Amino acid sequence: IIVYMSNYYRNSFFVHYLEFCWDFVCDILVVLQDIRNTVGNIPMEWYKDFPHIGYNLDGKKIYKPIRNKDELDEFLDKMEDPNYWRTVHDKQTGSDIVLSDEQVELVKRLQRGQFGDVNFNEYQPQVEFFSEDLMIHPVTNRPADKRSFIPSLIEKEKVSKLVHAIKMGWIKPRRTEDASRGSYYDLWANEDSSILANHKMHLPAPKIPLPGHQESYNPPPEYLFTDEERALWEQQDVSDRKLPFVPRKFSSLRQVPSFPRFLHERFERCLDLYLCPRQRKMRVNVNPDDLIPKLPKPKDLQPFPTTQSLVYRGHSGLVRSISVSPSGQWLASGSDDGSVRFWEVCSSRCMRTVQVGGAVKSIAWNPNPLVSLLAVAQDSVVLILSPSLADRQVLLSTEQLLSDQWEAESAEEDGPVKWINLEGEELSQGIRIKIQHPKAVHQVTWHAKGDYLASVMPDHSSHLQVFIHQVSRRRSQNPFRKSKGLVQCVSFHPVRPYFFVGTQRSVRIYNLVKQEMTKKLQANSKWISSMAVHPGGDHVICGSYDCRLSWFDLDLSTKPYKMLRHHKKAVRGVAYHRLYPLFASASDDGSVIVCHGTVYSDLLQNPLIVPVKVLRGHVITHDLGVLDVTFHPTQPWIFSSGADGTIRLFT
Amino acid sequence: MSQLQARFFTENKRYVVDDVPFSIPAASEVLELSNVINKLLEAKNASHSKVEFDFLVRGQFLRTSLATHMETEGISTEDVVEIEYVERITAPEAEECMMHDDWISAVDADAEWILTGSYDKTARIWSVEGKAVITVAGHTEVVKDVAWVKRDGLTSLLLTASLDQTLLLWEWNSEQNKVKARHCCRGHTASVDAVATDPTGSRFCSGSWDKMLKIWSAVPTDEADEVGEPADRPRKKQKTQQLGLTRTPLMTLSGHNEAVSSVLWTDSEEVCSASWDHTIRIWDIETGGMKTTLTGSKVFNCISYSPLCRRLASGSTDRHIRLWDPRTKGTAHSITGDFRRLSQPSFPCVTNVSSPPPRPTDGSLVQLSLTSHTGWVTAVKWAPSHEYQLVSGSLDNLVKLWDTRSCKAPLYDLAAHEDKVFCVDWTESGLMLSGGADNKLYTYRCSAGPTDAGA
Repeated sequence: IIVYMSNYYRNSFFVHYLEFCWDFVCDILVVLQDIRNTVGNIPMEWYKDFPHIGYNLDGKKIYKPIRNKDELDEFLDKMEDPNYWRTVHDKQTGSDIVLSDEQVELVKRLQRGQFGDVNFNEYQPQVEFFSEDLMIHPVTNRPADKRSFIPSLIEKEKVSKLVHAIKMGWIKPRRTEDASRGSYYDLWANEDSSILANHKMHLPAPKIPLPGHQESYNPPPEYLFTDEERALWEQQDVSDRKLPFVPRKFSSLRQVPSFPRFLHERFERCLDLYLCPRQRKMRVNVNPDDLIPKLPKPKDLQPFPTTQSLVYRGHSGLVRSISVSPSGQWLASGSDDGSVRFWEVCSSRCMRTVQVGGAVKSIAWNPNPLVSLLAVAQDSVVLILSPSLADRQVLLSTEQLLSDQWEAESAEEDGPVKWINLEGEELSQGIRIKIQHPKAVHQVTWHAKGDYLASVMPDHSSHLQVFIHQVSRRRSQNPFRKSKGLVQCVSFHPVRPYFFVGTQRSVRIYNLVKQEMTKKLQANSKWISSMAVHPGGDHVICGSYDCRLSWFDLDLSTKPYKMLRHHKKAVRGVAYHRLYPLFASASDDGSVIVCHGTVYSDLLQNPLIVPVKVLRGHVITHDLGVLDVTFHPTQPWIFSSGADGTIRLFT
Repeated sequence: MSQLQARFFTENKRYVVDDVPFSIPAASEVLELSNVINKLLEAKNASHSKVEFDFLVRGQFLRTSLATHMETEGISTEDVVEIEYVERITAPEAEECMMHDDWISAVDADAEWILTGSYDKTARIWSVEGKAVITVAGHTEVVKDVAWVKRDGLTSLLLTASLDQTLLLWEWNSEQNKVKARHCCRGHTASVDAVATDPTGSRFCSGSWDKMLKIWSAVPTDEADEVGEPADRPRKKQKTQQLGLTRTPLMTLSGHNEAVSSVLWTDSEEVCSASWDHTIRIWDIETGGMKTTLTGSKVFNCISYSPLCRRLASGSTDRHIRLWDPRTKGTAHSITGDFRRLSQPSFPCVTNVSSPPPRPTDGSLVQLSLTSHTGWVTAVKWAPSHEYQLVSGSLDNLVKLWDTRSCKAPLYDLAAHEDKVFCVDWTESGLMLSGGADNKLYTYRCSAGPTDAGA
């Protein structure tokens, strides 16, 4: 039973338990008979010839009980004795034992494969010693084996033997099956190579056109012939027909009949191959380099800025915007450190610092040389500064311009924009007027005459995105009734009453006199960042955050005439030179690329655009490189301002 | 070719050797040649002490071995080579360092006194020994240029030009050490960037950002000039700003299209001006007209004229110093031989215009380009007593001493400044000065200047 059970359960726990059960049975027998044979587990026939059957605990012989029962007695017992079925013969004592009811019950339970003890619960909850849960204490307290952290010497020896064998060439790598060979059969393997390639005049057979929708068993309805088309087809001569068959529609592929023209078609194909006149088409051999348009060498396009000459240091934050005075003597810069600085261009000397109390987003010098004003966008305020750097006559006329409307101002009704005259501390710094906007202003730009000023407040939801201010009359107006997308930048046309509005994807050009949109330029870019209008007014360049610079020729098309993808990162600023045929783009990759862009007055000639110089110098800070770029008004010089807090002059 | 036939000559009588051809090794360099001359002089004159010499082959300083030099210059080695030797110019020694409160924009020095203009709105007078004498304050803006006008014994006249659009004529008494503003010269409508006094000291010329040149009288008087006042100008304002008597210009010269950056007098009736419009113009003061225009390709920052070699040196916003002959007409392309000296059969500059690096596009007018600076050349000054030497200052923090006979590299780099150099000067007494954005004015003593002056 034990062996059987242990085989059955394969569990030492149960085996131990069964052994215990057997011992228990034996103990009961011993107690009942009080005879204990000490001979051990030996074949009992060894005592066959002796009168005793072994020895008890005291060493006395246990004598065989007198057994005189023969087969007949046995049979009679079997027939008559009601306890015969529960009588067992103990070989060791040679006596017959009659099992009690409990013992019989126990034997029956064991025979059924149950546990001897009725009260034993074999489905007790198991104690999981090793589980997936991370315990705070180790399961065993045993320290780690030394061998677990020392490389095995035996393995090393084995490996070194293998290595030696490989080196000596005793072990060879298993030969890999050549998978390519045999698995596929190249149908055309011997078609092209030797024979046909040597045949210089070889012409490939004309190809059969691939089947289209007409050939389909279930063509789209537009391919099916209408009655007129069918009539026409039937009237036409066979050679004139566009299609050699009539497209037909079947409800299922099963119903398609055999193709009646099959043999005919094959025959025609053979005739085609056999009879068609073949003429070698002479291909024009063009050197691909010749197709590239001849661009003049940058050397011949001088002057343009080539080297860094001056570095204007002083700002502690990134310099978002710069502007050069119309005379070219002063440079104004606005920075995130909340200051506007005025620099002398030729010596990089900071002449004035005006604290405006917040990060300066945009700065623009009034292009009118007769006044000296600077517009500064700081949060939701546009400040008009009058830097006392200019000539006395100019300052006087500036003063006049600013004080003119002092009386007219009272008539101003309350709009979304408020004009505030400044006094005291701020006035002494040169800040003259504060134009309070409803939202944060991102860009300011002047009209070429210097009286109008446009400000941009990018906002998707509102129609109040652009304001045009008139400084002399202190009036502000919102030129647009509806929002046509997020406005990024605006610009005035240098001579005509046009207004350029750069939204996220396109540039709209509005006629301010007729109050209508004249053109919409599609920049093939995702997000326009900056825009500049050519001094002639017929060309626009747009920089975008997806590294592109697009040049629009307004007379040519609304699509970019040229896309320049020279920058590796987002383009932040673009600028045209006022006099020289130059334009430049500044990018987050820390470089400024100067391009030559000649515009011809002849309408037939397209602009000539040649990239001439990559100017580096700015250190990339917080993934931002050059933020703004502007040309000197009279010299072929370029200023760039960067996230590293410096402004650089390249000449 | 290992030996060359050479004949040595010099103009300095002290070091003359026999006029016979010598055979010298072709690979010999300056040091060996110098030893040869010293040996010859010792043989002639036992009391001779060793002198370092520099050698000129057809007007060009020898800087490499003789064979290489002749190959690059294209001189035949078959003939006897004429080699001139001069005493070597020793390195200028830094003497004084004068600390200012702010950037130094201009310097003008004579034998006794140094006048500097600074960005702290003042001008200062220093003694040559580096002692601050007096601060001349009066301008409301940065002083851009300064000039001495005249000295009569203890009283001197000096000029300061400023960003506040005025020039002030000061009288300074060196004994009482008092300075008094005599005249306030009004008329410019933008910052006055340059001022120059004529050789007689009776007039001066100013150049301004408003593109004008104005000629003024430098004679102090006790009467203010009549000024055509604009009616709307507030009287009060003018009164408070007045310092000295108002003076109006004698003459206005207009013609430049951009700011005037530098002016000078070439003689008593001729003014030369450099401008941001890429031109140098020469004006006749008697007629008030323009005589010549020299057109370059870059903005001119500074010019200097040497009456000894009658050439103009200009510093531009590229890194070159260019030498011009002011008497060439704007269209002339050949170089006149006025300045050629008899002792030098072929003038060096003719061959050197074609030297590779500094060839500008306006090559026909430019006689020579000196290239070694890496930034804008902000100041140039000819040596007043030496025909070939000039000093230049640049935004690359360097002051360089040049000899036009060695045009490929400067003689010496004076790397004293820690920031941009804005002004240089060279006095008759051989003192070189330079000032810049590191607030320091350095003086250097150039010893060889006077000794070579006779050459």
